[in-house]
Amino acid sequence: MSDVSNSDAALRLSAVGKNYGRIRALDGLDLVVPSGSVFGLVGPNGAGKTTTFSIACGWLRADQGTVDLLNGGAFDAVRHRGRVTALPQDSALGRDMTVVEQLTYLGRLQGLGAKATRSEVERILTLVKLTDRAGDRVRTLSHGMLRRVGIGQAFLGNPELVLLDEPTNGLDPRQAHSIREFVAAQRGTRTIVISSHNLHEIETVCDHVALIDRGRVVMAGPISTVTGRNGEVRIALGDGPVPLEETRMALSGDAVEWDQVARVLTLRFIEKPGRAAEDVTGSALRALLAGGARISSVSRGQSLERKYLDLPAGRPPPLPGDRTET
Amino acid sequence: MFGPTPLRDIGLVAAFELREMRRSRRAVAVLALYLLAAAFFAYLFVSVLERVQEASKNPVAFLANARNEQPGRPGARRGGPVFAPAPPDKPSQGILTSRGSPFNVLIFSQVAEPEARDFLEKQSPIVLFFTLTSFIFVPLLIMITAAETVAQEHQSRGARFVAMRTGRAEFAIGKTLGQGALLGVVTLLSGVAGLAIAAWKLSDFSWDSGLESLLIFWPRVAAYSLPFLGVAAFCSMNSASAMSARVFSLLGLTALWLAHHAAGLYTGSAFEPFFNALDFLTPYAHQDDLWRASWSAVGPQVMLLTGLALGYVCVGLLFYRRRDL
Repeated sequence: MSDVSNSDAALRLSAVGKNYGRIRALDGLDLVVPSGSVFGLVGPNGAGKTTTFSIACGWLRADQGTVDLLNGGAFDAVRHRGRVTALPQDSALGRDMTVVEQLTYLGRLQGLGAKATRSEVERILTLVKLTDRAGDRVRTLSHGMLRRVGIGQAFLGNPELVLLDEPTNGLDPRQAHSIREFVAAQRGTRTIVISSHNLHEIETVCDHVALIDRGRVVMAGPISTVTGRNGEVRIALGDGPVPLEETRMALSGDAVEWDQVARVLTLRFIEKPGRAAEDVTGSALRALLAGGARISSVSRGQSLERKYLDLPAGRPPPLPGDRTET
Repeated sequence: MFGPTPLRDIGLVAAFELREMRRSRRAVAVLALYLLAAAFFAYLFVSVLERVQEASKNPVAFLANARNEQPGRPGARRGGPVFAPAPPDKPSQGILTSRGSPFNVLIFSQVAEPEARDFLEKQSPIVLFFTLTSFIFVPLLIMITAAETVAQEHQSRGARFVAMRTGRAEFAIGKTLGQGALLGVVTLLSGVAGLAIAAWKLSDFSWDSGLESLLIFWPRVAAYSLPFLGVAAFCSMNSASAMSARVFSLLGLTALWLAHHAAGLYTGSAFEPFFNALDFLTPYAHQDDLWRASWSAVGPQVMLLTGLALGYVCVGLLFYRRRDL
């Protein structure tokens, strides 16, 4: 993470600490979000994801450390207006205003002119598929629709950095899929940071990820690096022969591990020019097939979920009366 | 056409606040509360006026009735020093509700300054009553109705959407101005409601003089309300929920009242300068001058009250800028 230079970082938090009474919510958290990435923030409940978001957005004050957004220092409504937007978790829009009125208000506050706001609101309503509910009061919308309005407001104008806190929380699978598609379609246009419990979602949508636990980043980097996609191949075999020695000979220098119970062969290697994961996989498969092995499946790296579950567990139980996360 | 400026943002927030209050019927609830209070007190007052009017038109019958109703009570002397009965063939015109009425003369005879006395004697009594009751009750109503405006946004965390787009000062001031605009309209309509009650109950009521007096005194009521709105904004900015903001603001109102009255308790003591200075920082200390005639006397008080309102809001903002949303 630290190899991302200052000018390449859309968001940088350095040694950020935050306490809620006796609870240390963030404990010297360091986080660098590369510019232009779709960045996933993953962690258990109470890990500090929402606190990290809130400090980045200026809603909460950090007790220690520094925050820098778009090389403009900590969040400032004047400096970052229209450039940084967010979907807060569990925040309610004005219930008695219509969707159009609410979006128009936020667009105007963001600095857009009246005409620009009108066209922006139309664009956003189309993007989040709410044109038919534009004139309805916010209070009449379902939870999923409210979430879409919330996400839509974060994409008003042309923000350079968008922070989405649990964007698909509480949505049914179809709505969640629709929102993932929407976010994925934004890739390359701006930096997006998503916090989520849904590891599959993060793996699908994001290209970078940070795993947070107990107020610290415990692992971070490109998804492919974190999951080992470019350094690990797993081959599941069916019943039958296991030509282990032939495979090791074909992959001389690379680690080959055999899990007898799961019947999974794990190959660990370092990618080099002219020797990519595809080449290693090809060599291994040729050796296995020549030895009469029956291939069940081939996968690259571990899933993010596996990686997450492999992290040291044992979060201490909360103290009586403590908040877990804000 | 215009880029984002603090004033533009304040205007946007205030306009949205007003629209939201209208849409949520909160404005209707506030209006109903003020109008009901105004109508109730106006009715009570006008009923008293009506009785006095009846007595002034026919004091003999009135006093006879009074004696019949209360046989043990000694009768009032006919034609007292203030209430001179009109001749039977020439009933009094506007004796109670028009300018220069004997009622006003009675009420304001104790006012020491001749200029102020003359001025008040010429005003519509119902408007003076509206002003007096507004001075007493509007601060309380402001704390009940206006203190929740920003705090509600903290409670729902809706403030976070806005905080990404404008400064906290613009947000809080805009919300407060929205409340102020609503209160301005509502207090004016309350005054009109009082006049309507008077027109309904009193035969000699004059709309012209009533409205003229209302236009003189309503701006004073509005100016007097400003610092209380500032206190409500202070409490609202620094509360996590609507309920805590209401409680906090009522405590604030009590603190202002105590600060004002403490000055009277410590007259002549070593603490007098301190309590006088404290009193000066409360709106109560500037109320008396709002009854004067000339704008040269009223104007500085209006400016002081506006300054106090700004002061309360600014101190609130000092805390609000640093608090977690």
